[in-house]
Amino acid sequence: MKLGEIGENKSAVVASLNGDSRFIGRITSIGLTPGCKLTVVKNDKNRPILVYSRDTMIALNRKECEGIEVTEAAK
Amino acid sequence: MSEVISIALLGQPNAGKSTLFNALTGLHQHVGNWPGKTVEQKEGHFTHDGKFYTVADLPGSYSLSANSDEEVITRNFIASGKADVVCILADSSQLQRSLFMTADYAGITVPCFLVLNMEDVARDQGKKIDASQIEKKLGVPVIFISATEKKDYNDFYEALERAVNEKTVLNASSLEKRLEKIAGFNEIKALIPDDMVPGYSPMWIASKALESDPVVIAEIRNKLPEDSVKKILEYKEAVQGAVETGSAKFDWIDEITEGSETKTKGGFKLSKLDRLYTHRIWGKPAVVLTILLGLLFSFVPAWPLMELGTLVGNIKAPVGSALLNIGCPEFIVMIVCNVVIQSFSFIFQMLGFVFGITLVFGLLEEAGVMARISYVFDNTMGKLGLQGKSVMPFLVSFGCTMGGAAGTRVIDNWGQKVLTIALAWAVPCGATWSVVPMLSTIFFGPGAVLVIVVILLTMILHMWLTAKVFGRGLVKQEDRYGMIMELPPYHKPKWGALFRYVFGRTKDTFFRVTKVVILVCFIFWLLSYNFTPGGTSILYKIGVAIEPVTKLFGLKWQLFMAFVASSIGKEGALGVISALFTGGDFSGAFFDAMSGGGAASNLSEILLANVSKPEALAFIFAITFNMPCIVALAATYQEVHSVKWTARIAVYYTVVALLLSALVYHIGMLIW
Repeated sequence: MKLGEIGENKSAVVASLNGDSRFIGRITSIGLTPGCKLTVVKNDKNRPILVYSRDTMIALNRKECEGIEVTEAAK
Repeated sequence: MSEVISIALLGQPNAGKSTLFNALTGLHQHVGNWPGKTVEQKEGHFTHDGKFYTVADLPGSYSLSANSDEEVITRNFIASGKADVVCILADSSQLQRSLFMTADYAGITVPCFLVLNMEDVARDQGKKIDASQIEKKLGVPVIFISATEKKDYNDFYEALERAVNEKTVLNASSLEKRLEKIAGFNEIKALIPDDMVPGYSPMWIASKALESDPVVIAEIRNKLPEDSVKKILEYKEAVQGAVETGSAKFDWIDEITEGSETKTKGGFKLSKLDRLYTHRIWGKPAVVLTILLGLLFSFVPAWPLMELGTLVGNIKAPVGSALLNIGCPEFIVMIVCNVVIQSFSFIFQMLGFVFGITLVFGLLEEAGVMARISYVFDNTMGKLGLQGKSVMPFLVSFGCTMGGAAGTRVIDNWGQKVLTIALAWAVPCGATWSVVPMLSTIFFGPGAVLVIVVILLTMILHMWLTAKVFGRGLVKQEDRYGMIMELPPYHKPKWGALFRYVFGRTKDTFFRVTKVVILVCFIFWLLSYNFTPGGTSILYKIGVAIEPVTKLFGLKWQLFMAFVASSIGKEGALGVISALFTGGDFSGAFFDAMSGGGAASNLSEILLANVSKPEALAFIFAITFNMPCIVALAATYQEVHSVKWTARIAVYYTVVALLLSALVYHIGMLIW
């Protein structure tokens, strides 16, 4: 499923990244690589999604999140 | 001082680069633009142990991929051999993620050392790092410090000297082993000659080729035979290179940090403040309130300098009469009083504002609040091609445009910074609010409310239009991506370094702005001075001569002169009007009005007798949307470092203000 579908306070593992090399470069360099665990902190419609991963709170624009496939994980 | 050693600071945003840069260089820094680029260049120097060091603060980015001008500049700087040593910064509180820059640097053969910064934040989070273990694996000096602690700088200087003396190169062999597992890596690497790009190893180039790095691919096309190029492109297309190398780099980081980091606290909880800022409903009001409070607080440090500015303005009259008494020619007295003293009065008032705004909003930036502001307004400002942070200069501009311009300092992309200033000019400032409601009330009574509503609507339209006009040239389409950024943990600022930075910027502003303000004041004085007794000034002659044209905009020559005066300062416009309609001395009135006074007590009668309603409306719009003031112009120049863009914005605003006045004038003619 897509990252945007994960509810608040739910955890997930990044499954795959899809997009141009520029997007992949940006998303991996901030720490989101396949296999990486994250928790969705905030998921409000009109704001970027907030996730917590690798000890970092990261804000991701909704459109950019379309390219992030995740699988839900236990907390 | 025989030796000059050049250091380059490299690190992701929020790794504390600017804190370190400011603490090292203090007042010895210079901000400009990288040649031919729309990216800010910060350089400084310091002396330690008899050695002279220059410091280049490389633009912050999350990696060394060639996705933006910032990253390309960073890479070219390293390749140019200008840096003797690169100081890589990482945030210890987010160690693994933040070491990505180090992993991306691995394979570059320029000597380096690693600073694990934010020791204090990590400590608060119950984290400890054994730097010596990491140092053994990397083969370069590694220190665990807090750039906000003075005592930690001994460690820094020691690591710096060691890196310079021993020319320590990052050991990338275990990263290379991991990269070798990616299909195609070995094959590509074998095709890359050792010296293809100085400072960059074949391993580094092969890894970037796999990531489809546009600059590296172009270089490969340029320097390698055609069949090699073809093979490399085939290998690269066969894998999702950037994902593979990214994973390899993070695995390597885990290997490097394994056993060196201890955590005593676990888990993550949104802090109370963040719960407020990220709240669906209360987030925006909380951000707006934060900015308005910031604006309010910035007046506290600003006040003494602003008072000084007023005092300087007040000595004009006594100095003038003293000079006349000792027999000084009148025009010299005029130059001293109306150009020099008046300019310094403006400049000091402005410096107060710049000082206060830089301090307060620098503080919010350092503390991590600015990143939250960016988050909350990302969607809204994104529509204009701007960052969420741009909301701050807009709000500040309701108070004062030069404050807004100074506040754009926290925007890290030059194009977006210029665009933000260009839009902030459309926001009616405090001076406008002191003139326009009064004028509107004189002519339209209770209808003034309607005028103000229309002004605010026009402002929004103006900003939208200006974003269209200037946006394309300033913010490239491919740079208009959505936000992918971290919200750093809150941390307390380093007051010493912050103050040194603020003083430095204020000093810098003083020198740059003085030239602009004095020059413009002098030109206005020349144009408005009567050189022949009983004659008229150039400005008057021009004004009267082009009245047939300005009348199309709804502006009689007196109103047009007041419009011209309002580009120096809007408060002055009313004084100029009263002088001109009562046949007063034009050049005297012009400059008396500039210092704030001069509006006749029977202003409303004068106006009602001489100006029709459509003309009044035209004039109100003309001065509201005219260039904010000469000091805002100077502040804009100070921030954008470009005469071309400053002039463009100024001319654009003058033209649009006149077009708007023409428009409302003709609409007014239909109504009345």
